[in-house]
Amino acid sequence: MATHRSRALWSRVMRSCRLPGFRSSWPRGPLGARHVSQEKQATETHFGFETVSEEEKGGKVYHVFESVAKKYDVMNDMMSFGIHRIWKDLLLSKMHPFPGTQLLDVAGGTGDIAFRFLNYVHEQHKGKQKRQLRAQQNLSWEEIAKKYQSEEDPLGGSRVVVCDINKEMLKIGKQKARAQGHKAGKSYGLAWVLGDAEELPFDDDKFDVYTIAFGIRNVTHIDQALQEAHRVLKPGGRFLCLEFSQVNNPLISSFQVIPVLGEVIAGDWKSYQYLVESIRQFPSQEEFKEMIEDAGFEKVTYESLTSGIVAIHSGFKL
Amino acid sequence: MGTLLRSALRPLRRLGGLRGQAAVDVPLRGVRHGAAGLLYPGHIPTSPLQKALLAAGSAGMALYNPYRHDMVAVLGETTGLRALKVLRDQMRKDPEGAEILQKRPRISLSTLDLDKLRSLPEGSLGQEYLCFLDVNRVSPDTRAPTRFVDDEELAYVIQRYREIHDMLHTLLGMPTNILGEIVVKWFEAVQTGLPMCILGALFGPIRLSAQSLQVLVSELIPWAIQNGRRAPCVLNLYYERRWEQPLRALREELGITDPPTVHVRGLA
Repeated sequence: MATHRSRALWSRVMRSCRLPGFRSSWPRGPLGARHVSQEKQATETHFGFETVSEEEKGGKVYHVFESVAKKYDVMNDMMSFGIHRIWKDLLLSKMHPFPGTQLLDVAGGTGDIAFRFLNYVHEQHKGKQKRQLRAQQNLSWEEIAKKYQSEEDPLGGSRVVVCDINKEMLKIGKQKARAQGHKAGKSYGLAWVLGDAEELPFDDDKFDVYTIAFGIRNVTHIDQALQEAHRVLKPGGRFLCLEFSQVNNPLISSFQVIPVLGEVIAGDWKSYQYLVESIRQFPSQEEFKEMIEDAGFEKVTYESLTSGIVAIHSGFKL
Repeated sequence: MGTLLRSALRPLRRLGGLRGQAAVDVPLRGVRHGAAGLLYPGHIPTSPLQKALLAAGSAGMALYNPYRHDMVAVLGETTGLRALKVLRDQMRKDPEGAEILQKRPRISLSTLDLDKLRSLPEGSLGQEYLCFLDVNRVSPDTRAPTRFVDDEELAYVIQRYREIHDMLHTLLGMPTNILGEIVVKWFEAVQTGLPMCILGALFGPIRLSAQSLQVLVSELIPWAIQNGRRAPCVLNLYYERRWEQPLRALREELGITDPPTVHVRGLA
């Protein structure tokens, strides 16, 4: 494939492949309830550059992640030269959670965001404890010792629920949790739930923060996922999304390299071809911002990182 | 150590379940919006840059992890274009080869009639082939399908080359240990000129013991080269029609002399 032919081709596809049903045209009721759309034209969607029916897409994406699960972290490091860690750290610092925050991490399979969150609030909590102790001047040694001993929850009430649709990814995440010997592993604050971002198994108004890192472009109905996010967040809750975005100068050569890396390292070309194509298909920063606003979020902003390779979108449920 | 390289040199044989998770069961893509269409099932169109990277990456990975037989396959596909064209032209000129190109026979457990082969007389090609499969405990199945060759006929040629590899073992009387594989690789390198064979032939002996190396260099390699030069192109043989032919007669026809009286099986 000649490179500039593919460049023209891909930009043509990018522009022409905005599906009719993509932008949420559903009217919002007074309580943010969904109205079932009467017209069901676009039952087709995209899987990378391929056109598939909506029922098929879910299954195909499932297979992709089932096969990449074991090498997921290695491949992330390879493809982004380890920079994905910085992106995730930036997401956490933007979130700036404090002890007591309830986080829902959707499509968080292998637990990268969840583990960072736990470490962050743990550090916060320790700092808070230290400040408390310093403020209390006249405690006896026994009272101080008792304070340290009686501390049962090292997270100060924070909790993270990792929700993913894919069993294999969750399995890897649980293994990592065990390997890291997370104090907050089983007992404290970390829960693994199998669930679909378009239909979350949680009640309304449950969480303080909702994150989805590199997951939302794999969802068949992005607008439904955004609506669900809106539903499960408490009023005042924050939506944060870390996702690949449109680069100003499409890095053609890196998109050619990624499937090659997938083949050589993981023996799997097709999954990484899908990855590259699904990045191309994802809406631009502005468009995605509008989609988030359509779902009912306010004060929606975005921040492009690494010259637009990824972007963090943030919105509030007010 | 010997077993590791041995499996590396046995081209593209996926030992059952070794890389069970590798293949994603994503059905093949239909015509991609105007891009080069798929030429055959499993075809993945690649740009020259991607081919170059694949060749380098697969060569490195195959050396690093000898259990990655799929990497050897990828190396063969990405580097073999010129040699495959030469092979294909040779096949076209030969009547039997042209028939193979037309009929496109495949060797796999589903296409082989094992009972019939077993009933053949002792010393026939079919019997010896079956015996070889049993003794070495290998199967003609699970050959990696061709993916990165951008010509449908050449894709078949390389597939055929992979599938007759066991035939060559039978013809040359070489077992599937590392020494045997290296000898067959030298024969194949002379016969086909595929860069992957040449690289395998040159780098294969790296981890051999001094004794095996000595035997290899002094007797086995010269024998393999001689026979490779003398024999006509082995891809031109319609093996499926020659099951009854006695192996000895076939060897005479091809000019393949008996293997040197070194105990190849005992070494390595």
